[in-house]
Amino acid sequence: MEPEPVQLARSTPVRRIAGGLVAATLLGIAGNAHAGKDLDAVKARGQVVCGVTTGGISGFMSVDSQGKWVGLDVDICRAVSAAIFGDSEKVKFVPVTAIQRFTALQSGEVDMLSNNTTWTLQRDTALGFDFTGVTYYDGQGFMVSKKLGVKSAKELNGATVCVAPGSTTELNLADYFRANKMSFKPVVIEKVDEIRAAFFSGRCDVYTTDRSGLYATRVANAPNPDDYVILPEIISKEPLGPVVRHGDNQFGDIVRWTQYAMIEAEEYGITSKNVDDMLKSENPTIKRILGVTPGMGKALGVDEKWVYNIVKQVGNYGETFERNVGSGSPLKIERGLNKLWTQGGLQYAPPIR
Amino acid sequence: MYKYSLAAAAGVAAILASGSAMAGKDLDAIKARGSLICGVGTGTAGFMLADSQGKWVGLDVDVCRAVAAAIFGDAEKVKYTPLTAQQRFTALQSGEVDILSNNTTATLTRDTALGLDFTAITYYDGQGFMVNKKLGVKSAKELNGATVCVAPGTTTELNLADYFRAQKMSFKPVVIEKVEEIRAAFFSGRCDVYTTDASGLYSTRAANVPPPAKPEDFIILPEIISKEPLAPAVRHGDQQFADIVRWTQYAMLEAEEYGISSKTVDDMLKSDNPTIKRILGVTPGMGKALGVDEKWVYNIVKQVGNYGESFERNVGMGSPLKIERGLNKLWTQGGLQYAEPIR
Repeated sequence: MEPEPVQLARSTPVRRIAGGLVAATLLGIAGNAHAGKDLDAVKARGQVVCGVTTGGISGFMSVDSQGKWVGLDVDICRAVSAAIFGDSEKVKFVPVTAIQRFTALQSGEVDMLSNNTTWTLQRDTALGFDFTGVTYYDGQGFMVSKKLGVKSAKELNGATVCVAPGSTTELNLADYFRANKMSFKPVVIEKVDEIRAAFFSGRCDVYTTDRSGLYATRVANAPNPDDYVILPEIISKEPLGPVVRHGDNQFGDIVRWTQYAMIEAEEYGITSKNVDDMLKSENPTIKRILGVTPGMGKALGVDEKWVYNIVKQVGNYGETFERNVGSGSPLKIERGLNKLWTQGGLQYAPPIR
Repeated sequence: MYKYSLAAAAGVAAILASGSAMAGKDLDAIKARGSLICGVGTGTAGFMLADSQGKWVGLDVDVCRAVAAAIFGDAEKVKYTPLTAQQRFTALQSGEVDILSNNTTATLTRDTALGLDFTAITYYDGQGFMVNKKLGVKSAKELNGATVCVAPGTTTELNLADYFRAQKMSFKPVVIEKVEEIRAAFFSGRCDVYTTDASGLYSTRAANVPPPAKPEDFIILPEIISKEPLAPAVRHGDQQFADIVRWTQYAMLEAEEYGISSKTVDDMLKSDNPTIKRILGVTPGMGKALGVDEKWVYNIVKQVGNYGESFERNVGMGSPLKIERGLNKLWTQGGLQYAEPIR
């Protein structure tokens, strides 16, 4: 979900006013950025304000039939709320478009973004943000009809490939085939719905875009989702993660270690179902993670039961992945790169100690 | 409907400018001084050690040299301050050093209460196992019933017990306090296995095998059973400097991923690949965003090398340690080293 490079914002009148304040505020704190200022505001307000994507992205953030925001990205905000307030419901979700999102964060309209934003150099530096971690390693992949009998992208020599024009997607595609000494015939189509129609009608053997998009298209647009497979190869880097603005390292740390806590909980087998039993564990690492041995909460500036509250109310990383985008969801995304490091994936939390 | 707003544009432009102005206090001091002050350890072969000419070399040292290359265009503009494990955090907090690059494990307590930021992981370390080749063992999963040399009362001992329990295997611990005595016990054959952090096993194998035995007589098994992610640390308060350190590390990884090495970097300036053009500053933008010269990655790679070159030269196959890349392979090769994209 990466339509927008860094650019000057287009803005609503409301946001224009906010934009004026932003600059003044940021320049004002130039000399002495101190920890805790954003956290203090969150606490005084009694809510974390979480920027999500307007219109939603199924599995990552969307409004369910009861009007409740659900999804992998949404769960990060809920977990941060559980760490700070002991209650994962103290979140206000504010939908922002791809164009608005960075201004909304800079202006303080939202405390954090958790909306499938790719971590890049420009956003991490010139925009004055910090990415706290990677919630989902996304990247470009390939979808094919099962009938082709193909198990790997390396078997796609000579294939006809549907792709959007003028994008990094098109360049990555050409690079990948060249590197693997294979040829392909591009079918370049501008509009997303027309690409999908061309692929599902059989005009192309292959459809390529970011894998999360392939999974979403398969469930929402395929005449029969089971007839299509997403191949295992990932040929580009789209690391998606939450974002906070510079100026409050303590709040940044809470978001960062909340993510790590969800990963660490999975690694140590702590789930929403067994977390009460785990309070009785003799394992010193588990005792420290769950606050039975105190210290971690104090260091972070939250309650010692912060991880207990996160896991009890939201779940560990694996639980939220499977529920929202994995095997327990319509998307059925494989863990792949998002497996724990102990299982062959990239998800690795530095130790909670 | 969105209407282009000049006011908002001015606001964002001001923020962009302040993005570098609001931080920069440590960076300004470094520039005024003309050198980076890098806190290292008192000496760990392969990671940081003064060589026979008194020049600091090693994987951790190369991170400081690369940061100097990014800021000054010259990897030599670094002063090294050796610090003990007890001194290191105070030295960083007090401003005596600009950065620690000395095999410090990133942990929650250090990242939060100490007021530090870890930038990115230079080396995924963790507890491993060394055995005599004669045992014919290829994996820790074949160690059922083994006698294991280990230091007492440490997480090392706990991890050992946890690992064997999880694998439904038994072991006989030989618990010895002093490191030299553990090594002697292992090399004399009193234990089948020696366990400690893998980097320590490789150092011991390179430095302590008593003749006539040779380092090649011992192997380090592939399993890593705990997490010791080693990373540079900076203090809170200057996010621009932290960004420069973080993206310097990512640049070394990204260079390796795109096949840019100290030997090929001049040819790579002519590449048509838009990613490589952007990384090397042929297409400008990245240097400006970071607040350094557009040739920052060129200077890093030309003078210090990419991550793989630094790894192999200092701790890998080009070094006495002969550490396998293992978890420190690129993500495209099955490891954990992954750089966020330079764009």
